[in-house]
Amino acid sequence: MTKSLTLAPSSDVFSGLNRLRHDEPGFAITGFLLALATPLFLAAGSVDDRLHLGINNWDKPAKFAVALSIYLITLAFFARYVPASFRQKTGYKIYSASVMFAVIAEMIWIGGAAAYGTSSHFNTEIPVLAAIYPVMGAFATLLTSACAVYAVQIYRNKTVELPPTIKTAFVAGLGLTLPLTLMTAGTMSGMNSHAVGGTGLDTNSVTLIGWLRDAGDLRVGHFFATHALHGIPLAGLASYFMFGANTIWPVLAFSAMYCAFVVFTFVQALQGVPFF
Amino acid sequence: MENLFSLSGIPALIGWAALLASPWIPRLSQWIAGVICPALLSLAYTALVLGFWTRASGGFGSLADVQLLFQTPQILLAGWVHYLAFDLFIGAWIVRTARIDGLHFTFVVPLLPLTFLFGPAGFLAFTLIRAARGTLQPSV
Repeated sequence: MTKSLTLAPSSDVFSGLNRLRHDEPGFAITGFLLALATPLFLAAGSVDDRLHLGINNWDKPAKFAVALSIYLITLAFFARYVPASFRQKTGYKIYSASVMFAVIAEMIWIGGAAAYGTSSHFNTEIPVLAAIYPVMGAFATLLTSACAVYAVQIYRNKTVELPPTIKTAFVAGLGLTLPLTLMTAGTMSGMNSHAVGGTGLDTNSVTLIGWLRDAGDLRVGHFFATHALHGIPLAGLASYFMFGANTIWPVLAFSAMYCAFVVFTFVQALQGVPFF
Repeated sequence: MENLFSLSGIPALIGWAALLASPWIPRLSQWIAGVICPALLSLAYTALVLGFWTRASGGFGSLADVQLLFQTPQILLAGWVHYLAFDLFIGAWIVRTARIDGLHFTFVVPLLPLTFLFGPAGFLAFTLIRAARGTLQPSV
C-alpha cells in the first residue's frame, strides 16, 4: 500500500509552530528568535548612516538573521522525520546545542563587526577579527553539518511515514547541502573575497539579495548550494503530484540537475561573470 | 535625531494614557504599557546603541566618563529612551501590583505622573505605601 503524504499534521499555523517547538525545541526557538531580531538590525540601519562596501552597515546582519532563521526553522521541520529515539540521545543533544551555539556565535560576530563599521568576513586589518575568521569558518561547517546528520537519519528511518518520492527528495536535499556548501563557501573563503573582478563595492547589486551586477559573485553558488535543502524537497513535492508517490527517478534527475546548476553558477562567478 | 526624540515620546504617552485608563481596560492596558510600548522603546534604544556605542567616547567607569559618553547626541538620546522605556515598565508594574494588593486606583493615580517624570521617586512612594499598608513582600 502506498503511504499517503502528510507533511503537516494540522493546517492551523499555531499548531504547526508548536509542532516545530516540540520536535526540535532548540532549533525552533533559536530560529524564531533570529526572525524576531531581524527588525532590530533594520532599526539600527535606519539610525546608523555608515556604509560598508557602499551599502548600509546593518544590511548584512539583517540578511544573515533571516537566512539563519529560515535554516533553523527548516531543520526543526525535518526533525519530525528523524527518529525520536535519536533526538533523545545525550550525544545528539550536545551536538544540537553546539549547532545553536555556532549560529549565535556567527550572529554576534557579524553584528559586532557591523557595530564597529568593519568587515566580518575577509577582515585582515583588525587582528582579532582576522584570528576569529577561521574559527567562524569551522562554526559555519558545524552548523551546516546538521543537514548531513539529518539526511543520514531520515534515510535510515525505516518507520517514517513518507512516500518514497518525498523521502528521496528530503534525503537528497539535506544530503547535498553540506558538500555543495563546502565547495562554494570553502572556495570563497580561500579566495578572501566574494567578488571576482568588479569595483569591490556592493553598490551595483541585485535588490535585497545583494548579488553583484558588475563582477562574478561567489555568493550566488553558495546561496543555491545552501538552499538545496529547500529546492530539492520542493521539487520532490511537485514530482509526487506529477508522477506519483513511488516514482523516484524525477527526483534523482532533478537533484543531478540542481548540482549541475550550482556548479554552473560557481564556475560562472569564478570567471568573473555576473549571474544577472 | 530631533525627529527620533519627538517620535520616542509617542509610545511613552500612549503607554501612560493606557495606565490611566487601566480600571476600564485592565488587560489591554498591561499589554500596551507593560509589553508593547516598552518593547518598541527598547527596540529604538538597542538600535541606537548598536549604531553609535562603538563610536562614542567615555564609559561607565567614572562620572567624567559618563559625561563624556553623553556628549554623543545619539547615546544621549538612547539614555532618554531608556528612561522612557523603564519608567513606563515600572508604571505598569505599579498598576498591576496595586491591583493585586487591593490598593484603590485613586491612590495609584498620583503615583503615575510621579513615576513618569521622576521614575525612582514614584517607585519609592509606592514602596512606602506598600510598607505602610503591610503588603510589601518581594515576589518569588
